[in-house]
Amino acid sequence: MKLKKLLAFTLSGIMMLSLAACGSSAQGEAVANDTGATAEAPQEAELNIMMSFPQYMEQWEGYCRQFEEKMLAEKNIKVTVNLEMPSSDQYETILQTRLTGEDAPDLFTLHSNNIGTYNKAGNLYDLSNEELAGKIYDNVKETVSVDGHLMAVPIESQAWGVLYNKDIFEQYGLTPPETLSDLKAICDTLNENDVTPFMLAFQEQWVPQLMTGLTLGDIVSGKLTDWLDRMYKDEGSYDEVREIFDVIDLIMQNGTDRAMEEGSEAGSADFANGKAAMYVQGTWAANTIMETNPDMKLGVFALPINDDKNCTLVNLSTSTTLAVYPDSKNLDLALEFANYVLDDEDSSALFQSCSFNPLASCHNYESASWVDEASKYVAAGKAYQDLVLPSSVTDEQGRLLQEYYVGSVTVDDIVKRLDKAFQDANALN
Amino acid sequence: MNNKKHPNRTLLIFCAPALLVYFVFKLYPAISGIYYSLTDWNGINKTFQIVGLANFIEIFKDEYFWNSVAFTLKYVVVIVVLANVAALTLAVAIESLPKYKGLFRTIFYMPNMISMVIGGYMWMFIFTKVLYYMADNWNFKFLDKSWIGDPKYSFIAIIIVATWGAVGYLMIIYMAALQGVSTELKEAATLDGATTWQVFWKVTFPLIGHAVTICIFWALNSGFQVFDVIYALTGGGPGRATQSVAINIYEEAFKGNIRYGYATAKSTVLFLIVLVVTMLQLNITRRREEEL
Repeated sequence: MKLKKLLAFTLSGIMMLSLAACGSSAQGEAVANDTGATAEAPQEAELNIMMSFPQYMEQWEGYCRQFEEKMLAEKNIKVTVNLEMPSSDQYETILQTRLTGEDAPDLFTLHSNNIGTYNKAGNLYDLSNEELAGKIYDNVKETVSVDGHLMAVPIESQAWGVLYNKDIFEQYGLTPPETLSDLKAICDTLNENDVTPFMLAFQEQWVPQLMTGLTLGDIVSGKLTDWLDRMYKDEGSYDEVREIFDVIDLIMQNGTDRAMEEGSEAGSADFANGKAAMYVQGTWAANTIMETNPDMKLGVFALPINDDKNCTLVNLSTSTTLAVYPDSKNLDLALEFANYVLDDEDSSALFQSCSFNPLASCHNYESASWVDEASKYVAAGKAYQDLVLPSSVTDEQGRLLQEYYVGSVTVDDIVKRLDKAFQDANALN
Repeated sequence: MNNKKHPNRTLLIFCAPALLVYFVFKLYPAISGIYYSLTDWNGINKTFQIVGLANFIEIFKDEYFWNSVAFTLKYVVVIVVLANVAALTLAVAIESLPKYKGLFRTIFYMPNMISMVIGGYMWMFIFTKVLYYMADNWNFKFLDKSWIGDPKYSFIAIIIVATWGAVGYLMIIYMAALQGVSTELKEAATLDGATTWQVFWKVTFPLIGHAVTICIFWALNSGFQVFDVIYALTGGGPGRATQSVAINIYEEAFKGNIRYGYATAKSTVLFLIVLVVTMLQLNITRRREEEL
């Protein structure tokens, strides 16, 4: 008997639930029909977009709404844009799962270093013949093209090096360094005045990794121009670029305490509050820094690695790009959106509000002071295109620098392990 | 009623929803995982090749993987002992309270109700901000350790957070078992002149043997698969110093060279390790139970 009662109870429960579900869906349909009847029956469509920078959620949500309005006004299509912004460290995992699970978003952001891999897998639509292709600056376009075909819309492109606090520099009469000796002198002056020279935030592996990103770029563009090509052929070694540890040592020895306990955002906030004078971090951190301290005077200089001024260069790179999925059900709309990102009228406002750097002819806004400062290096030819390393090597560099900081590996170990990581990656690709 | 004729059928019907979920979300992925472990699939390509046992042969030479196995073993030993001792102590303490049992039970069970990732981030704040604040302002110098950066201390940090998260769940199982021990037996022992300590070890503890088996099994099993706590606290760092097997597998699949095939081969190996260890444990503890 007890059993029967229980069964009846659950059954009635299920029925009630399903009834409720029916009710709500019926309501939903009714509403949809209503609007359809009054507004000359616009076509309905849905666009799924996935992006990796939740810090710009507001700006992009707004832009998506603008796009919806534009489509309704110009094409009489009632688009619903679903914008997803998973946190950046899980983003790639989610994207890969969605792509393989046949649940791919119509548009998605991806790091320009991954364009090659994703293109090989057939996940990128060729944008060469779209209107936007003609607007992008040539040196930026190169970073998002494969064999001359434009595979993604560049979004975040930056010239970056080391961030510094201009107020502190002015107070002690310091100017941006041109050589490693200059940098040493700056550290000495700051130490004498009880100011910590460098902000260290090594909890996330990608932050210490920026030091190898900058120094390797310096050395490869400045003097060992064929090093990377040889690495890809298993003919080079990190032993040749050992020099980079001169400046890495200098940074680590003159940095803030408890670096492993400091995340990148916390680091940016502390830097903004004047805890240290310099921070090896890209201009993408400017948003957090300026939010923490709106009065901050932020500057950028190129990281010197030795006493050769030709090796003191800023990194010119494209990080985030937006790609169109070729098998998208709404390919036309997806392309409309891709073009809208570089729209003549609206794009400038979006890029400015995110403090992205101008990268196409449609961008005519005045950029932030630190962007200008970095751009001066580019204009003077003191810049290099970001090196494209296998991402497993990039990860390994971050890990090893963490270990180097806590003292569990030596430079010799690092050389050996990075050589091996590079060869392993070569063997797989 | 035909229930009496087919008791198994009723049982099956009641288990069906859970079984379905188990088949779809556990068994099927596990079996298809074994298939992918024989391929060189990279997770995004539409095609891949069967490479046979090459992935498994490579695992034997993978130093990082075996280091992570060693770390996981160390973690499992510590967490199984610590979590169970703490849970049993708490259970006994709360059971012996005259009042407010429910309150304390709820308080200690609470960490179990939030995701360990969130718990991990909360503790991260404690380890990186609160402890340093105490060290700097209140002169608690022993707290001024590199809680995330030094593998020695980050292991302690990981164990603290994992124990905090697991203890409530185990405690509930022990409490249920303790309530099942009849008071007559305990009273009889007390009348015979046994001390409280003796009553616990000679009467109560042998009688909750089944709960010990379950709790050790659960702790072993979840210990081998530890991921979220470490991911939230150290991310496996510095370098690979606190990398568990699950984190090693995750990084192989989603970071760096994105090798799904190789990563699933690694998880198959992990599965085998867990299978052997838990079977051994079940055998030993069950034999002990039968002896009683």
